[in-house]
Amino acid sequence: MKKQPIDTFAENLTAEKHAAVRGGTKATHEKRSVMLPEHFQNPQRLREMAGEIKQHAIENLDTYLPQVEAKLQSNGVQVHWAETADEACATVHRIMQARQATKLVKAKTMVSEEIGLAEYLEERGIESLETDLGEFIVQIDGDHPSHIVRPIIHKSRREIAVSFEREGLGAYNDDPATITQRARRWLRPKYMEAQVGLTGANFVSAESGRIVLVTNEGNSRFSLAGPRCHIALIGIEKIVPRDRDLGVLLNLLARSATAQPLTVYTEFISGPKLADRPDGPEEMHVVFVDNGRTEVLASECREILRCIRCGACLNVCPVYRQASGHAYRSVYPGPVGAVLSPLLAGKRFPELADLPKASSLCGACNEVCPVNIPIPDLLLRLRNRGKEEHAELASVATPGLAGWAWLASQPTAWKTALVAGKAMNVVPSALLPVPALRAWEKDRTLPEWRGGEFRKWWRKNERKTEL
Amino acid sequence: MSGAREKILGRVQAALAPLKERSPLPDWDPVLIERRGAIGAVPAANPGEPGLAPKVDLWTLFAERLRALHGLPMEGEAALAQWLKENGWTEGYCDPKLWPHFKASLPEPTFHVSTVFDRANYDNYQFGITIASGAIAETGTLVLTDRDTPSRLGALAPWAHVAVIRREQIVPDVASALATMPLDPNVIWVSGPSKTADVEGILIEGVHGPGQQVALLIP
Amino acid sequence: MTAMDLASRQLPGSERRVQLMATCLCDAFFDDVARATVEVLQHLGCIVEFPEGQTCCGQPAFNSGDWDSSRKVVRHTVNTFGGDVPVVVPSGSCAAMMFHGALLEFEREPDRANVAALGRRSWELADFIVNALGVSKWPGRFPARVALHRSCHGRGTPTPEAAATLLKSIAGVEILPFGEEDQCCGFGGTFSVAFPHISSAMGNLKLDYLDAVKPDYLVSVDMSCLMHMNGLAQKEGRPLHVRHLAQVLRDALVTS
Repeated sequence: MKKQPIDTFAENLTAEKHAAVRGGTKATHEKRSVMLPEHFQNPQRLREMAGEIKQHAIENLDTYLPQVEAKLQSNGVQVHWAETADEACATVHRIMQARQATKLVKAKTMVSEEIGLAEYLEERGIESLETDLGEFIVQIDGDHPSHIVRPIIHKSRREIAVSFEREGLGAYNDDPATITQRARRWLRPKYMEAQVGLTGANFVSAESGRIVLVTNEGNSRFSLAGPRCHIALIGIEKIVPRDRDLGVLLNLLARSATAQPLTVYTEFISGPKLADRPDGPEEMHVVFVDNGRTEVLASECREILRCIRCGACLNVCPVYRQASGHAYRSVYPGPVGAVLSPLLAGKRFPELADLPKASSLCGACNEVCPVNIPIPDLLLRLRNRGKEEHAELASVATPGLAGWAWLASQPTAWKTALVAGKAMNVVPSALLPVPALRAWEKDRTLPEWRGGEFRKWWRKNERKTEL
Repeated sequence: MSGAREKILGRVQAALAPLKERSPLPDWDPVLIERRGAIGAVPAANPGEPGLAPKVDLWTLFAERLRALHGLPMEGEAALAQWLKENGWTEGYCDPKLWPHFKASLPEPTFHVSTVFDRANYDNYQFGITIASGAIAETGTLVLTDRDTPSRLGALAPWAHVAVIRREQIVPDVASALATMPLDPNVIWVSGPSKTADVEGILIEGVHGPGQQVALLIP
Repeated sequence: MTAMDLASRQLPGSERRVQLMATCLCDAFFDDVARATVEVLQHLGCIVEFPEGQTCCGQPAFNSGDWDSSRKVVRHTVNTFGGDVPVVVPSGSCAAMMFHGALLEFEREPDRANVAALGRRSWELADFIVNALGVSKWPGRFPARVALHRSCHGRGTPTPEAAATLLKSIAGVEILPFGEEDQCCGFGGTFSVAFPHISSAMGNLKLDYLDAVKPDYLVSVDMSCLMHMNGLAQKEGRPLHVRHLAQVLRDALVTS
């Protein structure tokens, strides 16, 4: 019988990777859970408020997008728009060509993963270098990040040491401090050699046109101190209405992501450098990326666009902890990815229709989400879509329930089945043509079938009370 | 690419058209983001305005928060000179506007301090001294801008960054820092030395940015 | 997370007439739980009705994404539970289906109002006892070390607190904390058979934590969770004694 791919992936995950993912996510989740009530009187209300701010923003993108564009332009920023991944890549390429640029340094941005920028640029002879330590290691390994905040949560120091040696960064040494120092030394000249610094943006204020970058390592600062051209790739949903609303979101973001009140560096960039400054980009470009976001906006799952990419849902999700990020076969894994990835896939939804099924709907994700996204409800909507569109992956290993639904609308037939089901107690389940039953009994015993017993008791009890 | 712009905005319009009503922008109470216990600052009467004079000494709170992040609050040029000597850091950069302050305490031949940051030799400086534009007490954060720290690399490339701050520049919290944010293309909130926990979740300080972050209080 | 304002639900009238939804699981496997629910409600002075045409709340198909099938069953349930008295159900997940899930799948249906009306009458048992009947101290004795499992459908509802309140109040009960109490046991409806490896792995994590405290009983407001964890435990030869909250409440009365 066919199996759900995410379940199979989880089954085949090595004990080492499983321990690394579980350990890393659990530790951060627990620290976050302690920190929020310690720091705020009403963290629940705070999350709800952040959710309302973002929901308002996405429901008014028709006002905010032109507004932020005008503000950016008046700050001296060149604004571009890209409908598709290809268009976004082509835009970056065009900007680079205009400056005869051949080298780009990248601060962490998931959007660049989403659009396949590195491959696109490499095919055209442009060196695109990851500078975030985790992403750097992913790049030299030809790997993919498995977590939106902790890209190498699945890797051990031993694996990294082997990779570093292979790439000529030094003889095998798995001490984390040494690994970090080596990356620091190796990357430093690259910032100065690159002509373009590419970032994403965690937020962009529609009031001031400031883009906000939230990092810990200093790589985004360096990417905007060495190179002379800045390109920011920004999903159209990253708009925040006012600067003061950043107070709510910034107080939640780092606490939710890494249990820090603020990350080490919070940068508010509003334009290229002034003419007389020695460092910084002379040109700044913002590329607003759609790539399926307008389709999500039009869907019944638009709340997912509130996401501020903190990763808290990944950290608490028991399914993510068992399967790890790569199981989701997409740029965005975990609970947020289970909603966003199939939606961003557009017509290719069926290829990811199993993602919304990989959940027990426990709701822990919504409980930790700083913008209160009702993820389980969205997963359910996508399950319904998968069924209606007959997406095969959505129904693998899942019992069909049309027959059950008939039975459950026919009380007489139901009551008969209750009594008849007692046969299950004597017939070995291996003989029963019910795959779900066999799947259950592989790891679990089934309780004794006692269909009809309660109703029998009830009728006796009713007669007694009537006397 | 105006074609893409029109198409995207068109799709946004179409996506939002069926909504019977749009979610309002909530008028949130600033007390929601007040951090419990520590500040004692009086919150603003109107949203977006900085709060009134706080009951605790902001430098004391700032220093406590910075220390928790493994940053170093320090007072006076002498303390700085002492610390640099102890660490054997003698080659440095200093913002020319600050040099008159530090000339006496960081003299040749012990120290070699340049007031021009040489981009071609960015890794030659063991320390960089620049002017902070502000600080946030609640989070132990220093605020840098191009206006006051024109040499971005001077504050970033050396292993030790010393940001010089005056008492009256410190604001109580994130909300007031946002409300008083300077008009500058590059405002950076710096909360301690650079770090990463990418390798097995183990915290390492000093990644691409400075490994030592000093906030030096001068009168 | 709940679409409905749970504070505005139908309270019992002076006669304390209620309808019991036994749940399909209890109908098939756990008759004693349904019995205990009746006995507990009757002890509280309720007149319990049992609409015999009832079958299931419709959740299995809803969770599976087969909303057409689920709506069929929900409509039958709406027809079965006519009237305007509270409907009490010994299951957090069935109750959540009635006051939240069903509303989602009936969003565009012409008879949404009927479904919402039933939802407004629906109460999980512990929530009903504490918040509708105002009872927070339970009489009798139940001397036991008890681990209380926080079924996931209780998130965002008054149920977890109500269950803890009642259990804590029983003389002799010692509630044992155990590791990662908030993590899901792994049942998740058809998830348990569609993703069997992950489901069992999640369940086993729970069993490991429970092994460390060795409770006399594992108690929950949901038989689905208990069926999953007990099933795993039995298969692995490390049996657990599971009890539904209704059974604990009933047993406490019996010993008084």
